[in-house]
Amino acid sequence: MSFLVLVPTKRVPDTDGVIRVTPDGLDVDTSHLSFVINPFDAIAVEEALRLRERREDVEVVVVGIGDEAYEDELRTALAMGADRAIRVDAAEPLDPWNVACVLSELARRLEPRLILMGKQAVDDDSAQTGQFLAAKLGWPQATFASRIDDSENGAEVARETDHGIETLSVTWPAVITADLRLNEPRYASLPGILAARGKPIQEMSLQELGIEIQPRVELVGLQQVASQRTVRQVETVTELLECLRENTELF
Amino acid sequence: MTNALPQTSDVVVVGGGVAGLSTAMQLASRGASVTVLERERLGNGSTGRAAGLLGQLRGSPAATRMLMDGVQIVAELEERANVEIFVQTGSLRVAQTEERAGEIRDLVEMGRGIGFDIDHLPIDEVSSLLPYMRTDDLVDACYCPTDGHLQPAELVAAYLKLGREHGVVYHPGCPVRGLDLTENRVRGVITDHGTISTGVVINAAGPWSYLVAGLVDTPLQTAALGHVYLTTRPDDSHPVDRLSPAIRDRHLRIYSRPESGGLIVGMYGPDAVQHDMAALPDDFDMSSLTVRADDLHVALLIDATKRRFPWIDERTPMTITRGIMTFSPDGKPFCGQRPDFDGLFHCSGFCGHGIVQSPAIGVIMADLVLDGSTGYDIEAIQADRFFDHPGLQDRSDIEAACYQMQAGYYGRIEDGDGGVVDEPAGDGPTS
Repeated sequence: MSFLVLVPTKRVPDTDGVIRVTPDGLDVDTSHLSFVINPFDAIAVEEALRLRERREDVEVVVVGIGDEAYEDELRTALAMGADRAIRVDAAEPLDPWNVACVLSELARRLEPRLILMGKQAVDDDSAQTGQFLAAKLGWPQATFASRIDDSENGAEVARETDHGIETLSVTWPAVITADLRLNEPRYASLPGILAARGKPIQEMSLQELGIEIQPRVELVGLQQVASQRTVRQVETVTELLECLRENTELF
Repeated sequence: MTNALPQTSDVVVVGGGVAGLSTAMQLASRGASVTVLERERLGNGSTGRAAGLLGQLRGSPAATRMLMDGVQIVAELEERANVEIFVQTGSLRVAQTEERAGEIRDLVEMGRGIGFDIDHLPIDEVSSLLPYMRTDDLVDACYCPTDGHLQPAELVAAYLKLGREHGVVYHPGCPVRGLDLTENRVRGVITDHGTISTGVVINAAGPWSYLVAGLVDTPLQTAALGHVYLTTRPDDSHPVDRLSPAIRDRHLRIYSRPESGGLIVGMYGPDAVQHDMAALPDDFDMSSLTVRADDLHVALLIDATKRRFPWIDERTPMTITRGIMTFSPDGKPFCGQRPDFDGLFHCSGFCGHGIVQSPAIGVIMADLVLDGSTGYDIEAIQADRFFDHPGLQDRSDIEAACYQMQAGYYGRIEDGDGGVVDEPAGDGPTS
């Protein structure tokens, strides 16, 4: 049996795009935005690919939950080197609890040895799905991983905390969430892009998975935060020192 | 906008990239009052994303002289502004086929003919000069020790410092909305913050320059085409000295130079992205152009890169820089006035060579504005050379011709190209 790594991904607005709220204040105006794989999830994809480069029996399956537009990002992950993709059809983005419900059902069916995902999505910054998922499955979890040393039975995971690096030992199957410094995701190679065109993206419905969405979170409203930062060019060092003296709150 | 626009100015320069900043500095040094209007931030368009490679030997003595003089001008700038702009790394052209070797032979012969320091370099010497480059497939190479690159940020800083000393006023965040004309004569420049009276407007808006020309309904034969290059991070197992020579490999269509312990590699690919500048917002920041992980142009670039530098592949930690170049149908810029409007000078279409041409171009533009003529041979870069060309009036025709030019850059060998010989890559739009 292969060592299946499941990599859930989220489609998020490009982090370099300018985020604007819709006039009703209930959503992000996506009309002018381009989308990418959530950067932390891209790190998870990369780590799964490196794991496959280290071990022969690894199969990397990426998952997305969303509408058809999602397939662009799944195709990107396939071009990077993932073996196959699954899109669970959903018209609206789900909250972390419901995402965990969908993923745990998928995990029961696919029996992955490892679920590797971003520590959080950069659009809502919830950082909950991995933890919910591990709890629902009853698997060990190692969140905010900055290094993964895998072995036959599990992995040593270094995680970044406010107090330093903590090292955990988990046994397979496990949920690991990726932090920024785990790796730097690759670009797709030319053969990778060509191969991705022929790789399967399997579509599944929530009904097929027997999931009934029960929202736990209600979005009440979004508010744009006005930047308070100003920039001033100073001509001399004396002026810089004066400026620093006048603005002691900077320290 | 830190201060109010002047009411009048001898010259208004539209565009705060190297072309406009160099021109403004030269004009002001000769006593003209000069105002630079920049849509966004100074030096943050194509200038801010340029690799700055300086290969002085071109196909014509005129173009070569312009670049060699540029090195002298830069040396003065360095001294007066106290910055290092020119990094003299030397440059290498490599050939992996007999046809490309023929180009190198021609180039060496031509260079020696005009007294330029260039010679063939045996492949084993290439290997010792560039231990991180694959050389076993090369049949010939030539070396120009006086080439290198200009550091764009330092060049901008010098233009600004000396420009300010000569009284140039800079207005970033000030898009131009229209030109004020009386009959066919320029009278002023219209902005959201007021109108400046002036008799001379320099259109140095780079990729936007065809839109500036469009303000007075005159087609300028330039198109905005995308370009990508990669920059690797320093890697202890493949150290890149800061004075390692630049490389041009026309077969693979790539160029390369050292950057901060890593390597820049860029490609004149066959299928550039065409940008519609009119669709971009006024405050468009070129650094917001990002690439997807599965971008085809990046994949092509990496594929070509690893053929010459086998230690680099898609997993190598790198930054991708995406920018916009301004191409013309024949690979040369437009400098000067055209028959339609008195006082409207164009200074655009540098086809990815704006940084290195800018020092001399500033002198030329100042000559043209103040004297009506210049000692430089500017036959090939006259602004009116496609003015009434019937096949180059519509945007779609102009874009197609510029696109074809870009696609042929480094590409075809039978016709030469802007990278080596000062001729159009294709048969050109005139035939």
